[in-house]
Amino acid sequence: MFVQVCLYFYCKCLWRCLKFVVRKLTGQCELQRICYNTKPGAARTMKIEASLKGSKSKRLQTSVSVQPDAIEKTIDDIMELKRINPDINPQLGVSLQACLLQIVGYRNLIAEVEKLRREMYDSENPQHEEMLLKLWKCLKPNSPLKARISKQWCEIGFQGDDPKTDFRGMGLLGLYNLVYFAEWDTEIAQQVLSDSLQPKYSQFSKAEWEKKKLDKAIGYSFAIVGINITDLAYNLLVSGALKTHFYNVAPEAPTLTHFQQTFCYLMHEFHKFWIEEDPLDIMEFNRVREKFHKRLLKQLQNPEMALCPHFAASESLINM
Amino acid sequence: MISLEVRILLLGLDNAGKTTLLKQLASEDISHITPTQGFNIKSVQSQGFKLNVWDIGGQRKIRPYWRNYFENTDILIYVIDSADRKRFEETGQELAELLDEEKLSGVPVLIFANKQDLLTAAPASEIAEGLNLHTIRDRVWQIQSCSALSGEGVQVRLWRRLAVPAGHL
Repeated sequence: MFVQVCLYFYCKCLWRCLKFVVRKLTGQCELQRICYNTKPGAARTMKIEASLKGSKSKRLQTSVSVQPDAIEKTIDDIMELKRINPDINPQLGVSLQACLLQIVGYRNLIAEVEKLRREMYDSENPQHEEMLLKLWKCLKPNSPLKARISKQWCEIGFQGDDPKTDFRGMGLLGLYNLVYFAEWDTEIAQQVLSDSLQPKYSQFSKAEWEKKKLDKAIGYSFAIVGINITDLAYNLLVSGALKTHFYNVAPEAPTLTHFQQTFCYLMHEFHKFWIEEDPLDIMEFNRVREKFHKRLLKQLQNPEMALCPHFAASESLINM
Repeated sequence: MISLEVRILLLGLDNAGKTTLLKQLASEDISHITPTQGFNIKSVQSQGFKLNVWDIGGQRKIRPYWRNYFENTDILIYVIDSADRKRFEETGQELAELLDEEKLSGVPVLIFANKQDLLTAAPASEIAEGLNLHTIRDRVWQIQSCSALSGEGVQVRLWRRLAVPAGHL
């Protein structure tokens, strides 16, 4: 124990000395070196975040948790503290600001998502009810819902005749995600829903079907899986695993829309993964989900990783 | 001390509170629960024995799979949402079918009258009467009021005697 403590302080001391020497040699502080040597995106922002959090200055440590409107002032403070002349290094302030916007934005996104998750679905609330009905309309435009309490809800993968009990621990977040998927990615959402209702191997002939005893094979419940994938996305966000993705694709602060787009991507990917995995039946859901989760975690360890590039930063920001 | 293993099967309609109960038994966080697709399994150590608890989804579509988990069950736990009066009949039917299953014959059954924290919850006595539990003669049974949410009534010591006929605990 004692040896470990000594070793820790020794390493820390050594690291500080090293930083001091490099600073004297290059004439640049760590933040500058990161910004000049690492290209923008997750690689840079994560290094900046680690550097700020690990700093011995209180001001730098707290800079990762300031409010977004205080970022400019914070950058000025950092520049002053590090004795960097903004006129000689005009690019540094801009780069640091972009990083800080992402870092602070990620923290705020967690808070926003958590607030939605904690809000329980309430069938007395007209806004909640409206969203639920919208989900139906987007997924089943040609088949009107006959009653609010109806077995029809099972057709889009809820468990019973009233979806309100299915949101549970994911609260409104689950509903928001499903509605976003159905509204903005309608074609894919409808395709995934329709596939999920198919017995497996619909491409096989009836004889092959019987041979493989596929009468048992059912798809999965679309809405329930959506709520489970919401849980997956939520866990990735809160654990910080999604940082790589968001820092690479959100040019400034990641927003709820980014989170929902990520959810759409995850739904689509999970669907493909489910087909690839070829599980015997729905009872294998948690095994497949766990495997999918592990694969994502591994992918997200790569700092270049962006889960869905279709909302990548604009060119001008990339060149920053 | 020898560690005895007990296989517990947790069944009931969807939204009865099976997963919450499972997590409560395992002293895990219960605030992020989602509807169970498939099943969950947890091993819980309690007073020198090991409970292997199988929590199977209660959705109508999944109920046909329940039978795949009957084999070697030591205790059947059946969970009822005491506030969901509209589905008392449905839950009673499912329970009656389970008690008729050959593979579950003689297996002690514990019925949890869950969600007693809700004002609208029916008391355990009313549920016992509604389900005609007193007609069960072929096995040990017990009904227990509980709130999986607060953890009240789910303690293992309250239902340990159930497993005695099975030669466990």
